[in-house]
Amino acid sequence: MRRRKERQPYRLRETGLAYLMLLPAMVVFGVFVFYPFAKNFQLPFFSQPPKFGAISRPARYVGWKQWSDVLQSNDFRNTLLVTLKFTLITVPVGIALGLLLAVAAHQKLRGITVFRTIFSSTVATSIAVASVIFFSLTNPIVGFWQLRIGHGGITESPTWALPAICVVTVWQSLGLSFIVMSAGLQSIPDDLLEAARVDGAGAFSVFRNVTFPLLTPTLFFAFVVGSISSFQAFAQVDLLTQGGPLDHTRTLAYSIYKTSIEAGGPSDENKAAVFAIGLFVVVLILTVLQLRLERRVNYAR
Amino acid sequence: MGRVAFTHVTKRFGDVVAVDDLTVVVNDGEFFVLLGPSGCGKSTALRMVAGLEEVTEGVIEIGDRAVNRVPPKDRDIAMVFQSYALYPHMTVRRNIEFPLRTREVPRAERNTLVEHAAEILGLDTLLDRKPSQLSGGQRQRVALARAIVRQPEVFLMDEPLSNLDAKLRASTRVELVALQRTLATTVVYVTHDQVEAMTMGDRIAIMFEGALQQVGAPQDVYDKPANRFVAEFIGTPPMNTFAARLVSPDTLAIGAGTLPLDGVVADPATSEVIAGVRPEHLVVTSNDAGSEPGDAATTDGLVGTVTLVESLGHERHTRVRLDTGTELVVRQPASAVALVVGRGVRLRAKAHDVHLYDQASGIRLARDV
Repeated sequence: MRRRKERQPYRLRETGLAYLMLLPAMVVFGVFVFYPFAKNFQLPFFSQPPKFGAISRPARYVGWKQWSDVLQSNDFRNTLLVTLKFTLITVPVGIALGLLLAVAAHQKLRGITVFRTIFSSTVATSIAVASVIFFSLTNPIVGFWQLRIGHGGITESPTWALPAICVVTVWQSLGLSFIVMSAGLQSIPDDLLEAARVDGAGAFSVFRNVTFPLLTPTLFFAFVVGSISSFQAFAQVDLLTQGGPLDHTRTLAYSIYKTSIEAGGPSDENKAAVFAIGLFVVVLILTVLQLRLERRVNYAR
Repeated sequence: MGRVAFTHVTKRFGDVVAVDDLTVVVNDGEFFVLLGPSGCGKSTALRMVAGLEEVTEGVIEIGDRAVNRVPPKDRDIAMVFQSYALYPHMTVRRNIEFPLRTREVPRAERNTLVEHAAEILGLDTLLDRKPSQLSGGQRQRVALARAIVRQPEVFLMDEPLSNLDAKLRASTRVELVALQRTLATTVVYVTHDQVEAMTMGDRIAIMFEGALQQVGAPQDVYDKPANRFVAEFIGTPPMNTFAARLVSPDTLAIGAGTLPLDGVVADPATSEVIAGVRPEHLVVTSNDAGSEPGDAATTDGLVGTVTLVESLGHERHTRVRLDTGTELVVRQPASAVALVVGRGVRLRAKAHDVHLYDQASGIRLARDV
């Protein structure tokens, strides 16, 4: 007991020092993350009247009405639908292609490291760069392939704009997907695959009965992380389609940006806050799902 | 026919020769042990039989069929891995049943076979558990059950007991041999543990650096090691080996001492040889050698000093340094009079217990009796 008392002043000093060192980071996070996050929950309850010349009028309290207005609006529904479509295409396709490449690169062949490097190369490419590359390849006037659909480029077609955005996204995320799947494959003991072969399983049967079931934790992880990133897709939309044509590629994240900053209409910032909370809820659900189910899909002892 | 034949089999990984020109035949129904230190190529040899490694040169036959180009699934073998390699996502039942499922055995027959195998290995009550809910010994049994369920031509076992604790290993050893006797199926068993090899094998093959050193019944290998490596590898503690000189057809000189020989060494290239005597064949005949003046004239036996006495309870290992500087281990029953460190002793051995090896090649020198 006495010893502990003697140590107290020292511990106090140490704690104080720790907080002092955390302070700069806390300030940055506070200003750019914590405050805006909290503020975002206040915004939907207010409505900002249009500016009168240079004079901005005070915000008006409107309560839950703005929530229901926004959530029932066609704009929100369309946005959610587009985002959902986008996610349901990019995530499974990204995982499937990543797995395919990972299985191919998992073979013990000469020179396979070259392919591993190539397959994972898009990790070093940002989605913005990928979008610009896609643009310069497919643009109907200045593009390398001069891809033309109807009267315009692929990003101007209501039918093909969303698939085009998906292609860019899948291509850019393929590197990460490949690396995650490769890591998953490498975590499966060789013994198990060999045992299955001796037990009479052919290549496909080994994959179906052993590899794939043991990969479920990895697949689940990739599914959740991929969904979260797809729900937040922004740069490719902003650079290639600006949400068009006719809002066919207006994703949730892009809609938040468009509604709050660009539209210039009335009470937009407040409306956008509802969108933002919608996105937050989706990501929250996915994250909780990930944390809850992670242990259940894991076979390790 | 569960015969396995290696004919001039070589396996190279790049420049590394893992198995070097191996020629040996495992007979049908035999418990055959591949024994050697780690890295000697025994596991690679087994994996080539399984089809998990390709054969670089030579031919492997299972039954009467060359299997070099046959994929593992078509080889009619079962393998027990050191790690057991149980499928963690399947229950015990599904694990045992897996080799039957892949061969599309009908459901009813499958159930009968699984239950039979489970009964033999005492797993009846564990069929619905996952491997993660089993103890090490139980997992090992599941691995065995999965191997025997299909009644293959050959069982391949890669150190299946090495992950068990010492007590369980001893009892499982006995059960495994009994199981093999019952099933009368050929077993090729890889181990680095000479106790397993001696107690379980009908015949053992000793490998070192990829090459086969000796094949034979355990007792024959123990009694007549074919070369210096086998002599020093088999036996705990191993055989004492030391430089010696042939002074006459029936006498070996080591420093000031001698050992008797029976028979005549056929055509020795040189008189410098390597002699070997097992620790239990060395007998301490005089506790106070050197202290009696007249004794120095007697050259029968080896003269040395006790440097260390280790008691194992049932026996003692006594280290004796000879006048030539070589240390020998003498194995004595616990009932023998304990020697004191620093004491001068004289060691004797019977003529037929002295082994001779060529100094350069290490090969056993045959003696005409």
